[in-house]
Amino acid sequence: MDRLLFPFVSIVGQEEMKKALLLNIVDPSIGGVLIKGEKGTAKSTAVRSLMQVLPWRNSVEGCAFNCDPALPGRLCPYCREKTQSGKEMKSVNVRMRVVELPLSATEDRVSGTLDIEHILKTGERKFDPGVLAQANGNLLYIDEVNLLDDHIVDLLLDSAAMGVNYVEREGISFSHPSRFILVGTMNPEEGDLRPQLLDRFGLSVEVKGDRGTKERMEVVRRRLEFDTNPEEYTERHGAESEQLTSRLSKARQILPEVSAGDETLRAIVNMTIHFGIDGHRADITMMKAAKANAAMDGRTSVTKEDVRTVAPLALPHRMRRHPFEDGAFDKEELEKCLQAI
Amino acid sequence: MSAGDMKGLPFSAIYGMDNAKKAVLCSMVNPRIRTVLVMGCSGSAKTALSRATGALVGREVVNVPLSVTEEQLFGGMDIEATLREGRPVVQKGILHRADGKILYVDDINLLDQKIAVALTDCVLSGRVVLEREGISSEYGCETTLIATMNMQSSEMSPHLTDRFDLCAYSTFPDDEDGRKEVLRRNMEYQTGESSFVEMYAEEDALLRSKIERAQAILNITKMSDDLLGVTVELTAKVCAEGFRGDLAMINASMALASLNGRDEVMRKDVEEAAALCLVHRRNNSLQPPEPPKSPEQPEQQREQDEEREQPREEGQRQENDEERQDQCPDAPSDQSKCSRSEESDSKLTAEDILFEIGEQFRVIDYLQGAGRKVRRTSSRKGRRAPAESSDTTGRYVGSRSPEGKARDIAFDATIRAAAPYQSSREHGSLAVSINSQDIREKVRERQSGCTILFLVDASGSLGVRKRMSAVKGAVLSMLRDSYVKRDKIGLMAFRRDSAEMVLQPTRSAEYGYMKLAELPTGGKTPLGEALVSACNIMTSYSRSHPGETCHIVVITDGRANVPINRNADANEEVIKLASKISIPNVSWIVIDAGSGYIRFDNAEKLAIKLEGTYFRLDDLDTDRLADNIRMIIR
Repeated sequence: MDRLLFPFVSIVGQEEMKKALLLNIVDPSIGGVLIKGEKGTAKSTAVRSLMQVLPWRNSVEGCAFNCDPALPGRLCPYCREKTQSGKEMKSVNVRMRVVELPLSATEDRVSGTLDIEHILKTGERKFDPGVLAQANGNLLYIDEVNLLDDHIVDLLLDSAAMGVNYVEREGISFSHPSRFILVGTMNPEEGDLRPQLLDRFGLSVEVKGDRGTKERMEVVRRRLEFDTNPEEYTERHGAESEQLTSRLSKARQILPEVSAGDETLRAIVNMTIHFGIDGHRADITMMKAAKANAAMDGRTSVTKEDVRTVAPLALPHRMRRHPFEDGAFDKEELEKCLQAI
Repeated sequence: MSAGDMKGLPFSAIYGMDNAKKAVLCSMVNPRIRTVLVMGCSGSAKTALSRATGALVGREVVNVPLSVTEEQLFGGMDIEATLREGRPVVQKGILHRADGKILYVDDINLLDQKIAVALTDCVLSGRVVLEREGISSEYGCETTLIATMNMQSSEMSPHLTDRFDLCAYSTFPDDEDGRKEVLRRNMEYQTGESSFVEMYAEEDALLRSKIERAQAILNITKMSDDLLGVTVELTAKVCAEGFRGDLAMINASMALASLNGRDEVMRKDVEEAAALCLVHRRNNSLQPPEPPKSPEQPEQQREQDEEREQPREEGQRQENDEERQDQCPDAPSDQSKCSRSEESDSKLTAEDILFEIGEQFRVIDYLQGAGRKVRRTSSRKGRRAPAESSDTTGRYVGSRSPEGKARDIAFDATIRAAAPYQSSREHGSLAVSINSQDIREKVRERQSGCTILFLVDASGSLGVRKRMSAVKGAVLSMLRDSYVKRDKIGLMAFRRDSAEMVLQPTRSAEYGYMKLAELPTGGKTPLGEALVSACNIMTSYSRSHPGETCHIVVITDGRANVPINRNADANEEVIKLASKISIPNVSWIVIDAGSGYIRFDNAEKLAIKLEGTYFRLDDLDTDRLADNIRMIIR
């Protein structure tokens, strides 16, 4: 890390956004977070500074695709060949990281392309991995995701749907695992997100800029403190960051043991029916998020409270609505719905 | 990630989706059914179903990514081999790999239209013919194409949908029990519980043997002439063009019969087949007056029809709701809207009125007359036609020899061009020697942006007889159209003494809607100033957005009464200004909002001077326009 980032644990407020991000780290299959909000509401700061609390994971040493040696079904062609020929794969413990996809990225850099240097020197084709390779097992962050070109979005859709990046271009036919936590931020005034992409985001949060004077002062105070002496400030919050990291690691460990009873199932299903949500993605996401929430608290059974916490994150962007309606998500209605169960 | 995650959900574990499952099974039994389309809302297990099918019948599923290039899909030159051998060597494409397997395309409506058509062609004919980059070759491709499409997003051209033998609308269970069951199965599958896997493995095995038996008796399955007659009658009834529908019906009926263990097609097979073969082929535009539903019309199809009809009705209901709410802004159900109108109310003076948004309709292709081609079949991804991109952004679709110096080099194409000559060239330390005549540059395609600035007359003269409601309704109808086509829209209103930019060009149609609802009416008509402001804004806009097609849609009755120059006559001034205005790459459309018996020709004159297209507001409604034309013909 060349430049110090404002510590995640010191971000004031924005609890929903922080919660949504952390739940995804506990269970990456939740499907990522879409963060909507005006400029200057600490969206990007929060995502980038996640770097400091991200847990550690195993990866095959030297693999450009960050293959996980524990998942033999999800290896890149090189690692697969190694396993088949009985070669040993050395596993290293690396920290998950935030991979950024800039808006100006061209499709060859996103999906990977023909290695020009290699073919000129040797006459042989070789695949030159792109951002989707780096993102495997990590967090993929797209700032201003609603401004991304349509053809780049198509590439992401494929990967997000199957967890595999299929490359069929420029004389290259190649596929490699690409499963990532997709995090996008956007300013809704700049335009809508394509519906296909919107639905791929597991959770969504709306970040608001208007806060009380007291909170604003706190935000400014902390920021000034950090800017005066970043090293000292980061160190002061080091223990807190470590604590969060280990809490996340623990949650990841106990997640497979978390169970949900029939009551939870009913609560979730009633909610999606009540809000008229198409498809099953909302149900499944809510269940996963509720389990992750329980795991964060160190519990192994899901309660109604977990469902209450995650519903406002999983439902709003999936509500059946037409482009010309105010599709506001009504929290009171959610409460009524929960009470009824 | 569990073990189950890697294997994929078993076919039998997919809950509901009966139609889609039936369609896929038919195609697995009868190889003459080559293309299957599964439509459904997002998250309805379309993808899971397609992948489970491969596992069920033991056929590999070959995936076509959306970013595929033609040469990868159909085939092209094998660079390595060509370099080695010094002559062009063919590299067969994905379609070759799919031979004898299942070909799978997710979200086919997002695939490049040209590629999608060529792809279905190859699959239907079972042959791929290659003529590109000095390669001339042909190979066979016996495969079953399973494609999915999300109905919420853009539509697909009828030309392409017709190429699908079968099409199933996947509906998801929306009741509590159904949803719970889906969620429960998904949880068990995620955790990889062994009882779950075993149970469905058994069911899958049963299904597999059923398919095998069906395959064995398919060739001896017969269909009576009577039923053939019923089939042909049915396809004629839905006005399906061509014979693909009939053939698909017969093939599907036979598959269904043999799946049921019979060697003779029965009436109910034909009825079931109709639900899969005809719904997507219905010709809506040519629908004859609906005859009273005869008892011979298959029940299934009627159900399907109703299913399809539903969303539209819902949309209408929604619109009605909107209108109702707008008409009574005090309705407690919608507080946000209410407070907003109060807010703007406070800004209004006595003469200002806030009109609700009037009736909406399906708009005609009003931009087409202005030199734009937006036919349903030509618009890629259901949107405006793509344009070649002049910089290095956009999708790489092909290559060509550059004129002059190449800026955006297509390395793969360049190397392919050089490959055949390698044996006769000096190499130095590199493996490939490239001469200047080998250089190829990339041809990139970008979705051509289209920006439409609505210049709306909100003066008092449009307050008469609630004309403004009709204007708002028309603008919203056009906004809807733009939303579907992903155009950028801006909104500028003029009234009293000035023209005001209400909404900067944005892709968010929602904001457009909000601003439109808030737009007050009243005061004089500063048309001249409005033209000047719009001209200034769009001149700089079109300069900073090269490659975008820009339109200014002026909606007015054309009767100006506020001149820019205090002593001038407002209307004369407008005409003078209009004849002077000319913005490169921007076209004008004038929509006459005037109404009543005495029609002024101001707006029409304005259109002529602007060299734009002229429409009367009432003519924008597709249905009404059609009615008018019909009346004229009579």
